[in-house]
Amino acid sequence: MILFDRVTKKYKKKGAVLERINLHVEPKEFVVLVGESGAGKSTLLKLLTREEKPTGGKIIVGGIDYERLKDKDIPFLRRKIGVVFQDFKLLSNRTVFENVAFALEIVGMSNKEIRHTVPKVLNIVGLKSKADSYPSELSGGERQRVAIARAIVRQPKILIADEPTGNLDPKHAWDVIKVLEKINRYGTTVLLTTHNRDIVNKLKRRVVTIKDGKLSSDRARSEYKL
Amino acid sequence: MSTSRRFYTTIRILKSGAVNLFRNAWLTVAATAVMVVALSIILLAVVLNVTANNAISELARDLKASIYLTNSATDEDIVTLRDDVQSLDFVEAVDYVSQDQAQKDLAGDFENDSEILQALALAGEDALPASLRITVSDLERMPEIKEFVEQDQYSDSVESVSLGQTDAQTTIDRAAAAQRFINIGSILAASVLSVVSIMIIFNTIRMAIYTRRDEISIMKLIGATPDYIRGPFLVEASLYGVIAGFIACGIAYSLVFSMGKKVADQPEFSQTYTFFTQPNIIIVMALSAILVGILIGAVSSMMAMERHLRLKNW
Repeated sequence: MILFDRVTKKYKKKGAVLERINLHVEPKEFVVLVGESGAGKSTLLKLLTREEKPTGGKIIVGGIDYERLKDKDIPFLRRKIGVVFQDFKLLSNRTVFENVAFALEIVGMSNKEIRHTVPKVLNIVGLKSKADSYPSELSGGERQRVAIARAIVRQPKILIADEPTGNLDPKHAWDVIKVLEKINRYGTTVLLTTHNRDIVNKLKRRVVTIKDGKLSSDRARSEYKL
Repeated sequence: MSTSRRFYTTIRILKSGAVNLFRNAWLTVAATAVMVVALSIILLAVVLNVTANNAISELARDLKASIYLTNSATDEDIVTLRDDVQSLDFVEAVDYVSQDQAQKDLAGDFENDSEILQALALAGEDALPASLRITVSDLERMPEIKEFVEQDQYSDSVESVSLGQTDAQTTIDRAAAAQRFINIGSILAASVLSVVSIMIIFNTIRMAIYTRRDEISIMKLIGATPDYIRGPFLVEASLYGVIAGFIACGIAYSLVFSMGKKVADQPEFSQTYTFFTQPNIIIVMALSAILVGILIGAVSSMMAMERHLRLKNW
């Protein structure tokens, strides 16, 4: 599903942020990416969503070779990858329903289809009753679940969650992780980055550790070790 | 993308553009107001230009050259001269005016002036010479008639040549000068205001991009195409043009109707008034104003997007 082959990313000022990363993620896998701040986790995810281009190496996602990807194809690539951010990135002037519907509007789905699909997804993340609420009326955990609903509403094959629990208390953080596990059980490949030791240890999933821009360990059903 | 998805996408882009228009109400008013002034000036310049052209043509029609004939000119000489003058490419018509007719015309012109009528009666039939009255299609070339008939072959037939009434020529010269002034003034004013209009819309769209920067970054990340992101801004700016075009046309036509009615019965203006008040001409004027408005809006929004939206680097 995801293949990083000797991927390097260098910036003119900062130098190398990622160096010769080799990573292979199978379909339906749940992978936790750990590492200290500035280790290169977010850069790796930005390479996946093509917000950044690698300086060297090869990236293939869902059969798409990023080297051959043209700029005009990037929106269509992003429609295949769901992304959840630490700061939720919700539109404050839109309701929960409208925030989720937004992802369907941009692909030209009819209002009827949207009315049919969004409640189902809100049900998966446990927010069906909050459809008419605005983000400001929700807790942090609920906001993150809205962001997850928006990321999965188009049924992407891959879901990237960049520090989704970073701004949440332990209870809400765990609610979010449980939603991610549920989505993974439905068949979506999940790539999660986190600092949270408890979450990593409880999850017992494959843990990939990045240290100083290099892949330092890759262990199945592992725990948080730096 | 399927046709139905394209349809829904287009509807959403149009709707979003219209919503933005009302969201930035004050900026919309400012952007539209300047464009209204620019478009009104352009429309009025067109109206004034056509009016001046028609008035000049109408005045020119009255301006005729006269070749006064000698008493010794025979009928044959007169016919030869008439045919030769008629053959000049800028001559539209040549009419023979007999001595008798000339006297009647003059008497008609001064029917209320008893002194002139008495003087005419005293002078007798031979007081006024017979003449050829010439209508030309190009006033500039009227002096060529004089050069033409001053040739030796016509010396026995031609007494003198008069190139039109001087007061009519002065009026034409003034109208032409006014027309030049209107043209230059309106081009300058419309250009300056169009540039101001472009700058205001540029800033309005820049503000709209800034206000919606979070939404734009989310749209990029969840897979919106550049056209989907640009579309609403283009629609918003084009709508300024549509609104401004309508208002400008309303202003221009309220002036055409109110001022036009006062002068519509004068021959210099009646044709112009009838022309501009035809329904199809009103539609063409309105559509032209709207199209120019859309063009100004589209150009400025594209400039703002090129500079501030940065859709090239994903």
